Amino acid sequence: MAQSENELIRRAADGDARAIRSLYDRYAPRVFAVVRRIAGDDDLAQDYAQEAWIRAIRALPSFRGDARFSTWLHRIAVNAALQALRKAETRKKHEGPEPEHVPVAPSRGDALLQKQLERALDRLPEGMRQVLILHDVEGYTHEEIGDTLGVTSGTSKSQLFKARAKMRGMLASLDGAMQEHGAEAWSI
Amino acid sequence: MEHLNAETIARLVDERPSSEERTHLEACPVCTSELEAYRSQVEALGGLPEILPPQNDWRVLEARMRSDGLIKDPGLFERLGLAHTPSWMKAAAAVLLFLTGTGAGAMMTGESTDRPLADMAMMEQAAMFASSQSVDEAASAVRVAEQNYVAALARYRELLMQDGGPDIGGDPISRMAALQTLVAASQAAVRQAPADPYFNGLLASALGEREATLRMVSTKDNWF
Repeated sequence: MAQSENELIRRAADGDARAIRSLYDRYAPRVFAVVRRIAGDDDLAQDYAQEAWIRAIRALPSFRGDARFSTWLHRIAVNAALQALRKAETRKKHEGPEPEHVPVAPSRGDALLQKQLERALDRLPEGMRQVLILHDVEGYTHEEIGDTLGVTSGTSKSQLFKARAKMRGMLASLDGAMQEHGAEAWSI
Repeated sequence: MEHLNAETIARLVDERPSSEERTHLEACPVCTSELEAYRSQVEALGGLPEILPPQNDWRVLEARMRSDGLIKDPGLFERLGLAHTPSWMKAAAAVLLFLTGTGAGAMMTGESTDRPLADMAMMEQAAMFASSQSVDEAASAVRVAEQNYVAALARYRELLMQDGGPDIGGDPISRMAALQTLVAASQAAVRQAPADPYFNGLLASALGEREATLRMVSTKDNWF
């Protein structure tokens, strides 16, 4: 029988390697996904995700269970990635001119759609990308985004709508490029 | 007819349109279609899947947590009293000795040995793994392998303690040569067991150490 999450958390807080590994196995894909999208870069993502895990395991003794562990961990991951990005300021290259369209090899299916969404996300300016990811991908409210990013909820909304429009522009160009190549256009 | 601008349509995914906007949408199929496209975009973003971290992620993280004291149960190297051995030496011990027994130590020290590199114990062990018919048998084989591995590490430690042992940390040429040997041995191990996370982790460590050494060599001021 699988151990309860509370038991795993208690043991992990005591430094039990197997318990920590179990928590990692359960939640690493979710942590890595949000951090990867915020970082917009594979190498940075691994560093940031690891920093998030270190922070989380270090903070485990103070985890009271007021929120679900997954939610608590997710917030730590988001904050770790955002703080690391602010500190490093290595994302300037992504704020250059917006490409006319996202390059694509014509094919079909959800996998392609997801890949193109990810690539378009990577090409959004940093502030817009963060808001779009937190709202449209992760389901944060504008108030929560405001608290997390240190902006007003009005700024969050404004950035979100701009980000959606930029993304729509990139994806629409892509759609046109695919039709030029004879591939079936997707529904976006 | 002047269409709604992009940011307005992006807003209408979440918010109710004003009466003016509603009137426009009712009369404009272009903007209505565009709004549907935005809704699809938001829905697709919400359905993006989780992403698996890189294969070596846990091994790197575990090492970091041990070094930060977040993992408190002793690891294998700590139990053997090798906690302060450089990580590349640990990797060398793990790969070379696991594969070749004391022959590996002889290879590093330059001593001669009568033992073949792949000795009978290893052959028997490989056969044991291959013939495992159940999880219990496989687990038993793993326990035997671990015992052999621990014994091999102990032998490696003895070699390290010997007077006149290999001075492979003090100059870049001999260190790089040792690391080349280690990488080759790690790659051989991975070829034998491509899916084995342990060997893959050791190979990653060896390659990482080699990279780090190359970087140190290329920046002369940082070399020790």
